[in-house]
Amino acid sequence: MGETEVGTALRAELRAYIEEAFLYLHPDVELADEDEFLTLGVIDSLGFVELVEEVQTRYGIAVDALEITEENFGSLDALVAFVERRR
Amino acid sequence: MTTLDEDLRRAAATAPGEEALVAGDRRLTFAELDAAAGALAVRLQALGVERGDRVAILLPNAIEAAIAIYGTLRAGAAFVPLNPTIKADKLAYVLRDCEATAIVTDDTLSSLAQQASNEAPGVRHTLRAEEAADARGTRSCPAASVSWPGGARSRPAPTTAPISVDLAAIVYTSGSTGRPKGVTLTHANMAFAAGSIVAYLGMRAHDRVLCVVPLSFDYGLYQLLMCVRTRATLVLERGFAFPGRVLELLVREEITGLPGVPTIFQVLTSAGAGAVAHDLPELRFITNTAAALAPATIDALRAAFPQARLYSMYGLTECKRVSYLPPEQVDVRPESVGIPIPGTEAWIEDDAGARLPPGEVGELVVRGAHVMQGYWNDPAATAERLRPGRWPWERVLATGDLFRQDDEGFLYFVARRDDILKSRGEKVAPREVETVLHQADGVRTAAVVGAPDRMLGHAIVAFVVPHDGATLTSAALRRHCAACLEDYMVPARVELRDQLPTTPNGKVDRRALANEAAALAAGPATVR
Repeated sequence: MGETEVGTALRAELRAYIEEAFLYLHPDVELADEDEFLTLGVIDSLGFVELVEEVQTRYGIAVDALEITEENFGSLDALVAFVERRR
Repeated sequence: MTTLDEDLRRAAATAPGEEALVAGDRRLTFAELDAAAGALAVRLQALGVERGDRVAILLPNAIEAAIAIYGTLRAGAAFVPLNPTIKADKLAYVLRDCEATAIVTDDTLSSLAQQASNEAPGVRHTLRAEEAADARGTRSCPAASVSWPGGARSRPAPTTAPISVDLAAIVYTSGSTGRPKGVTLTHANMAFAAGSIVAYLGMRAHDRVLCVVPLSFDYGLYQLLMCVRTRATLVLERGFAFPGRVLELLVREEITGLPGVPTIFQVLTSAGAGAVAHDLPELRFITNTAAALAPATIDALRAAFPQARLYSMYGLTECKRVSYLPPEQVDVRPESVGIPIPGTEAWIEDDAGARLPPGEVGELVVRGAHVMQGYWNDPAATAERLRPGRWPWERVLATGDLFRQDDEGFLYFVARRDDILKSRGEKVAPREVETVLHQADGVRTAAVVGAPDRMLGHAIVAFVVPHDGATLTSAALRRHCAACLEDYMVPARVELRDQLPTTPNGKVDRRALANEAAALAAGPATVR
């Protein structure tokens, strides 16, 4: 499925944030869009707290506790889909 | 029952079909856990692992970790649980220090295990859990679905069942020297501690405990030991990264017991854990250790889970647990960490070893069958902590922590005597982080302190002075730390300075740095 221009921009923006906030600590990791942050070890439990806060402030989304799941925040793909759906 | 192995055998004999473990989609009964542990024990023995040998376990919270622990014990060996975020150099150090003969790991971590094993010639075997226990280990499958290569069921069971005085585990903990120390624990130590904790929590068969704390951390490890002992179910989850997932598990798995550390409860309550509370009629107890809960977190937890009893506890790996505060005392003495756990004694001593009366501050001393046997290969450090006890054969644990007691014997933590920090509930030795920073190119000197942090307990803050002409960045230094240290030890903040403040006698003034770090933490968020 093709992605909209807006979607592509969002993906680039989120990737830039992930790189700046987390990936710089792991220079050996090549992150694919579908890779699970937790499995790769690039974001740990507390990192997700930061990530959720960032998504809330940057996109003005109110994230409910029950929404903080692997399906919504576990990978770049998941994150893009969640933000697209909710903003 | 005096060995951990007997606990599992008894559970398998009396409750074979009851659920022992749940992890993701996989479920294992006590009979299946027992069979899998037996198969691994046979496999380990076939590889030449002998009674008393050390087997390192490098696994995340998964069913394989539980099998590896009990399989190692059944083979008569001692397990060495390791944090899966450990890095190669430190892993190699630990493997050499405990003289491990084998390491059990998984596909993701096996290259790390291999890399470290190359530096630890004693390690003869690396076993990968996936080779054996594949995704078919679900409730609908026969017990044999979780087995280990070579562990055919037709082989005779291992004949070296451990006895109570055998070494069961070496648990590594941060030491103020910067090198981790191996706490040696016998079956008797661990079975006693597990039994004592089970007693005051009132744990029983059919309890269901959710463990998001790593099994490599003794707090997580004991959840497993206690569940097997009581024939309760342990639900394993790899951390608390996804509060939505944790809350879903609490409801779906009808959890009755939730152990955590302040960071976890902070995340859960700030994420709105109360939203699911009405779906949790079964939740009976919540336990907290590693650091005191903030009063606001206690209030939030009680509001979110009014049905659960809340236990504040205090301990150190060297004896597992010292004390617990009976839940009805939380409002009466919110600052207290309670009374000694059942079957043990604790008191306060002055520097000369005399017991102090209520109200006076001194060193906390602990007596009981839970006290460790000493630090592996480190008689000097052992002598500092284990002192002659009441009887010629007895040794008591001098914790190194400053405490006081009130008139009714309730214990209050005052301060640590060493400079160990607690971040996310885990011990961090500033010296260990400093050693790693000193290894980075261009670092002249580094000092590491803790800053109070709502989420972490202590945030690790490093102050670094570069060599003349060296161009260092905070980001590069954090990256260097991330490559060498477990996640929880990586400084949240690295500050570059031209020089460090010194005391009148020329030492680095850590108090001044700690004040500075606290001031920084109170300011704007970390700029990376």
